[in-house]
Amino acid sequence: MVFLTLSCLVRSRGPDRHWKVQELLKHARHFRGRKNRCYSLAVRAVRRAFVYATKGRILKKRNMRTLWISRIAAATREHNMKYPALIHNLGKTSVQVNRRILSELAITEPRTFLSLAKLAQARREEGFRAALGDGTEPAGVFSRVVVTH
Amino acid sequence: MCALCTILFVVLNLTFLSSFQQWATFSRSWFLIDAKLQPPGRIASMCAVRLQGKHKPIYHALSDCGDHVVVMNTRHIAFSGNKWEQKVYSSHTGYPGGFKQVTAAQLHHKDPKAIVKLAVYGMLPRNLLRPNMMQRLHLFAEDELPEDVLANLTEELPQPRDVPRTLSQYTQEERDAFPRLWTPPADYKMK
Repeated sequence: MVFLTLSCLVRSRGPDRHWKVQELLKHARHFRGRKNRCYSLAVRAVRRAFVYATKGRILKKRNMRTLWISRIAAATREHNMKYPALIHNLGKTSVQVNRRILSELAITEPRTFLSLAKLAQARREEGFRAALGDGTEPAGVFSRVVVTH
Repeated sequence: MCALCTILFVVLNLTFLSSFQQWATFSRSWFLIDAKLQPPGRIASMCAVRLQGKHKPIYHALSDCGDHVVVMNTRHIAFSGNKWEQKVYSSHTGYPGGFKQVTAAQLHHKDPKAIVKLAVYGMLPRNLLRPNMMQRLHLFAEDELPEDVLANLTEELPQPRDVPRTLSQYTQEERDAFPRLWTPPADYKMK
């Protein structure tokens, strides 16, 4: 900025206070009470809001995972299986589908989910036969481990 | 439930009404459980799962997806062990000296629905939706259900405990075929 007289240079404190204030208040516009209008109250509220948002980003990952797990558990119980059995046996057959996709399949693609549940059940029964049998029978079709490095 | 879902998907694809399909997926079903000679805790856990909606793949705590559950024959529940005499239900009236403790047998005699109701209440999450879920639980002491409840029922759930046969339900041939360790002599007096 160019100041034409000395008095203007001395008196000017900061030309862009309005914009700095607006930059902060824009994050507070949806708050309740005077916190959405008055700068001193809004500063405190916006700082708290940002702290909660930071903590929430960590919690969101945990909450979403528990939600996916309960949805997958509900869907597997519809097919007479339990969630730990499904996850363990899908892992043993190296089906690396994560819980997010499994829960979405359970909701929107029920037949795909049924086929995955049946695959896990078949692998589980092969595991039981291998453990309880005498070891003379060959391992089942789904027990073949494919090593991909 | 999943068979119902797949049938719904097939049938409703034929009708090409996507809104109807969506509402049918979110509809509230009425489950019936017969609690005759069943442990009340297992009955209550089945009820709690269905009241919250945790048996559905579309579950969310906030989306109010619980179903109605009707429990009949609550008068004929069967605690295992000595719980009828040993299990104690405590309450306090709020006044001094108002701490009351009753055994399960006494409480059942006073109110035959109370044991199942308290069991389900304790198994639901402690949030503001719990009273709403309890309103969707319908308990009946005997097996006579009112007509409006009967009209709404959609599915009967299998009982959690296999009830063993009583001695009178075995035929004479089965009783004779059962192996005996020792037959008493003719003049033996049983105590």
